[in-house]
Amino acid sequence: MEKQNFQSIIEQIWPKLKKKHLYPEIPMPRVREASEKKEDEPTEDEDVGLEMKQKQLTINGAFVLQMKDKMPQEKVIEALLDHGITHYTFCPWDFHTHLRLYAAAKKVVGDKELAKQVSNHFIDVIADTHCVKKRSTEIPELHRNLKKGMIDEVIASLYERIWGIDLGISPSKLGVKGRTDIVRRLARIPYLDRSRWGESIQKFARTIKPLLLEEQKEKGAQGGKGEANPQGEHDLNHYSSEEIDQGLRDYARQTMTLSEFKDVVEDFSDELRGAGYGMEGGIGRGHGDSVDADMLFYMKLAENYSIPIKRLPLEEKGSLHPHSHCPWEIGAPFQDVDIWTSFGKIMPGFTQLWTKREGKGRGKIEGTPDCLIVIDSSGSMINPRKSLSYAVLGAACATNAYLHNNSRVGVYNFSDAPMGGKDILNYTNRREEIYRVLCKYFGGGTALELEDLKPLIQGKKKLDLFIITDMKITNLEALIGFFGQIQNRVTAVHIGDNPYATRFEKAFEKRKNINIYTVKRTEDIPHIVLGKIREYFNPTTSKNS
Amino acid sequence: MDQIVHSTEAVMDRIRWGYERLLEEEAKELVWMVQYNTIIKAYEVAEKYVRELGYTAEDIEEFCFALENTQRIPYLIPGPAGIYISALCNYASEEEIVLKLSELKTEINLVGFRLPKGKHLMIEGDTGDFTGIGLEGGELVIDGNAKNWTGAGMRGGKILIKKNIGLHTGEWMMGGEIYVGGRVRGLGNIVEGKVYEREKLLYPGKVRYPNVYY
Repeated sequence: MEKQNFQSIIEQIWPKLKKKHLYPEIPMPRVREASEKKEDEPTEDEDVGLEMKQKQLTINGAFVLQMKDKMPQEKVIEALLDHGITHYTFCPWDFHTHLRLYAAAKKVVGDKELAKQVSNHFIDVIADTHCVKKRSTEIPELHRNLKKGMIDEVIASLYERIWGIDLGISPSKLGVKGRTDIVRRLARIPYLDRSRWGESIQKFARTIKPLLLEEQKEKGAQGGKGEANPQGEHDLNHYSSEEIDQGLRDYARQTMTLSEFKDVVEDFSDELRGAGYGMEGGIGRGHGDSVDADMLFYMKLAENYSIPIKRLPLEEKGSLHPHSHCPWEIGAPFQDVDIWTSFGKIMPGFTQLWTKREGKGRGKIEGTPDCLIVIDSSGSMINPRKSLSYAVLGAACATNAYLHNNSRVGVYNFSDAPMGGKDILNYTNRREEIYRVLCKYFGGGTALELEDLKPLIQGKKKLDLFIITDMKITNLEALIGFFGQIQNRVTAVHIGDNPYATRFEKAFEKRKNINIYTVKRTEDIPHIVLGKIREYFNPTTSKNS
Repeated sequence: MDQIVHSTEAVMDRIRWGYERLLEEEAKELVWMVQYNTIIKAYEVAEKYVRELGYTAEDIEEFCFALENTQRIPYLIPGPAGIYISALCNYASEEEIVLKLSELKTEINLVGFRLPKGKHLMIEGDTGDFTGIGLEGGELVIDGNAKNWTGAGMRGGKILIKKNIGLHTGEWMMGGEIYVGGRVRGLGNIVEGKVYEREKLLYPGKVRYPNVYY
């Protein structure tokens, strides 16, 4: 009964709220009654007023009922929704910003739990302040009536100071003199200046850290959990799979530092695993064992670079048609999702993709062949699990380019191959398996076993080769001889300049099927054109020559 | 809120501007030698810019963090930075100043230089070399460690270091007291004054030589 009542209140105020927040793309909020609570959920159900999952705001009926003696139910609901909507329209806005704020806080407090608390408080202060300043809202009234813990008292006092509204916090409530100092320091932060959030959260974290430590100590002494956030917790549930994907991609590009990315991803590993990022279980197959942060870093960073592939006339003819289903995984294109068998849901392990095959037809069409990636992981190369390896990044970009064109990729990762320093992956379109082999680092000497390469190439006329190395290969001459015999398109990328690379370039300067690129910076990667054959690229020149 | 933020920004801009002028005048070559004359001269320049500013202890604290975090300040040279921070503390309107610097990665030198009588400066965190030199009767508390030459040339007042202290402690000190909660690594040539280690009087006492390593 109450649920229906609350739902009708929401339906009544929702058009007004949407207008107030400039029509955000958020579905109609729902109401959850206390009875709907699952058994394994925490008992302090009445303390949390709002739940945010993806973009669905859910009001907790029990919380509203509990507040009914203090303020009208309509106002409680409106204030909670104002707060929730502002998280989507202003702060944190997206997952990337959330990660950035968390990482900045972690640098100051050094602890995962504390950093999460700091970023949550900071995000709430910004959202509420933005709302109070830019919109007409009942948020101050809600804060006046909320049950407050030690930190909430300090934050409410901060609100009094920066909003200029009395929230009923008496100076004696703040108790210790140090807390008024904290409020004074917190009030100096420019919360609404988005460009300075990184710097501001560090200031916020520095100031609030002693309080959080004090609270943690008290919590530890009581042996229980702390106060729940009445305005809802901030976790990865806020974001959809695409938002998490995009956020990780942006964060990888922005940091460009493996260690920083790894640090943050490992801190969120539980949540990411829940979102389908468990690499051991395969991306997109529900809960896995662990998130391989190194692989995820290269995967997300590579998604920021697009390497073109020159298409090749293939023997197979006809157009593509949906042939069979395969499970959708995070990062896979949405246009191939079969909405009927996926019941309109995007969920790793549940959603299905159409696998397309070429049908029978006449004439030659252009297509992309499979690719064999030969990657050097010897001691002269950077260990991709310690710092950013351009070789792995370049190979990852090539992998993405071929997979996006529905081709398969094989990997030959070598160091001292004759002594067993090698890993071979047969042609596949399973991205995570490819990345796992690409990220493997042997760190020994450098020698290729050509006998290993031959079976991977034999019988495949339309196969592209992509080799990425620093060219400091013991049997470089044998490799040059081998490449001299094959007609496949070869894209050779060498990391940095050295006499061996010059020798390689000189040997193939007249070969039209071999293109050589140098990568010294990440900016060089997009300049690689995979499978570029000079005569294919510029037929007139080749005819004249 | 806008008012608080704008006035904070305006004060910070003026403090930054003063520091940049000091660097222009005193550390053009990015090399700054700690010598008696250079310290005196730099302090006079710092005084010139700081005297007219209206600011609070929080502004000084924010400036300390801005020194290592913001792009807006061209460079941090620990010597002039410490002199400038000391001048800010000495000319602040508050008599009691608390700077919460425990999260600062850089240990600032020369903090508490010429702290006058009636001023109480408390630093949360570690400080660098030359902490509290030339102290002029003020009370300096370091809730952390201090490095070498602490209290050198101090004339009066009290320095309390809650943790450990480095070498040459109290070199040429002419008066005042230094209390160390932890260990003193070595004393300097003290003229007059008292040095305590964990409430035990160290100087005057049976110290055989200055710079005795414990």
